Amino acid sequence: MTNPSGSRTIMVVGGGISGITAAVEAAEAGFDVVLIEKTPTLGGRVAQMNRYFPKLCHPTCGLEINYQRIKKSKRISVYTMSTVAKVAGKTGGYTVTVKTKPRHVKPNCTACGDCAKVAETEVANPFNYGMNTVKAAYLPHGMAFPMRYVVDPSVAGTPEGEAIKAACTVGAVDLDQTEDSFDLQVGAIVWATGWRPYPAANLTAYRWSDLPNVVTNVEMERLASVDGPTKGKIVRPSDGAAPKTVALIQCAGSRDLNHLGYCSRICCLASMKHAAYVREQYADAQVDVYYIDLRAHDKLESFVQRLKRDPQVAFIKSKPSRIEAGENGNPVVCGENTLTREIYAKPYDLVVLATGMQPSVAEGEMPDLGGVDEYGFIFAEGEDISAGVAAGPLDVSMSVQSATAAACKAIRAVTTAH
Amino acid sequence: MSASPTPTGAYDLAFARWVYANVDGGDRMALCMQCGTCSGSCPIGAQMDHGPRKLFMMIRAGLKDQVLASDTIWNCVSCYNCVVRCPRKVPVTYILHDLATVALREGNAAAKASDNARFGSAFWWSAAKYGRTDERLVTAKYYWSFGLGGFIKRGMANQKIAMGMVKTKRMHIGMPHKVKGTGELAKILAKAAEIEARNHG
Repeated sequence: MTNPSGSRTIMVVGGGISGITAAVEAAEAGFDVVLIEKTPTLGGRVAQMNRYFPKLCHPTCGLEINYQRIKKSKRISVYTMSTVAKVAGKTGGYTVTVKTKPRHVKPNCTACGDCAKVAETEVANPFNYGMNTVKAAYLPHGMAFPMRYVVDPSVAGTPEGEAIKAACTVGAVDLDQTEDSFDLQVGAIVWATGWRPYPAANLTAYRWSDLPNVVTNVEMERLASVDGPTKGKIVRPSDGAAPKTVALIQCAGSRDLNHLGYCSRICCLASMKHAAYVREQYADAQVDVYYIDLRAHDKLESFVQRLKRDPQVAFIKSKPSRIEAGENGNPVVCGENTLTREIYAKPYDLVVLATGMQPSVAEGEMPDLGGVDEYGFIFAEGEDISAGVAAGPLDVSMSVQSATAAACKAIRAVTTAH
Repeated sequence: MSASPTPTGAYDLAFARWVYANVDGGDRMALCMQCGTCSGSCPIGAQMDHGPRKLFMMIRAGLKDQVLASDTIWNCVSCYNCVVRCPRKVPVTYILHDLATVALREGNAAAKASDNARFGSAFWWSAAKYGRTDERLVTAKYYWSFGLGGFIKRGMANQKIAMGMVKTKRMHIGMPHKVKGTGELAKILAKAAEIEARNHG
């Protein structure tokens, strides 16, 4: 059962909730773990939620516990701003080429924020899905791990960059950092590369690109978050007004052979959560949920039932055919109510598209893997071990279960003779 | 093609299965999930008696007579909005057009009496005979399908439009315009009929 010749180190690719879970589970079982994350911080999509199921916790809660586990473990090495460029070898003896992007901030950063005070250039804020901007010297978000600033490469080599460097009292800013790559020897790889929201711009009939009051579900999470672009106030992006009527459109991309040919599974409950966000903030708001079938799965049925009892939340069985621009550019949702056969065209203050989950492999930043299905999800079978949404559309708790299973598979892989 | 079976009761799938197997695009129709995108996308969705989504459910429910008598199969304007948007890639337009053909072939009374069937038959007569559509003859033949009374009534009502069209040379007087090789055209159409019979026979 031992593997004396091979490496017993486990690499986890992706630092979201699944990757973090797989890493801490393997490390706590006594294995060295290398955790690779593409962005400047761990936390992934969960960090971008306002609250998450099953208990409607704020993400700070679940992440805090896991960050503690990483900090307490001596076995986990975290590499942020890193991606896997190449994988050679096989189970027990992989050579992985890791590429890193410059953060321009060294580990001695104290996250004091002096650099951000002198920065003037504003860059799109990926944490808020580009809905606002941040200074070119920024902390990715309040729950960043590592708690370290990032200097955007656009200011390197400019007088502003020099000012940022000069403002740092501990000398942590290093504008000369460049892209780098290095090789690591590992015994097993867990792909926890997660997902991205399906690009709403592809859903041309839903006008996300040109109607400001049409937003996506992930943008809704940011609108509802205290650390979001509106400090947690759900408002219409066009004029900052409180929405009186809100439409939630299910299956925006999912279950659609022109877009995502599968059910993304999480969107129904996510929209139930969004209906709850709106109703908590606005006593007079009306929320209409447009759906084909509600696939809010079992254990949270009571949450769905609670919303169904709310007289100001209506459920309309219909996949809207299109959204049109009405008065003041407000969205008008059009389609057929499939229970009454009414052809409707109803104006709303705010429309939220429940866009589905697309595996990150679809972004094309991954090495070629063997076990990838037609949508880009990574098979759990064979040599490739996958966890969380990299393997299929899962919610947070199912991702965590899947990541624990992946850690067990990785441990078995590195402890079995080859 | 064999005539479609008549279901013996509610939710008898005999007719639905026949449609899946014999109607153009019917195999994809089996994947319809009743989302309503088609009827909601239709420019005349509110004017149709059922709309495509409901019509497909009626096929599954075994309501053959109501399906073949529906005006939905005649009123499709072939804009293809539904086909482009259908999340299951059901070629709705093809299915509606082919169901209209089935309704006529099986002698459905409502189908035969529909405006579009009358006009379609007049249009096809001219297209097949001359290789062109002659406005006067198509219109006359269409009006004639309503009988002598209907012919006169409709002709009188549209007299002014007809004169205006003649004046602006949108409608000519004299022998019908023809393509050069009407004999060749007849052969092409005969061959097409032969292929259709072979593929669907």
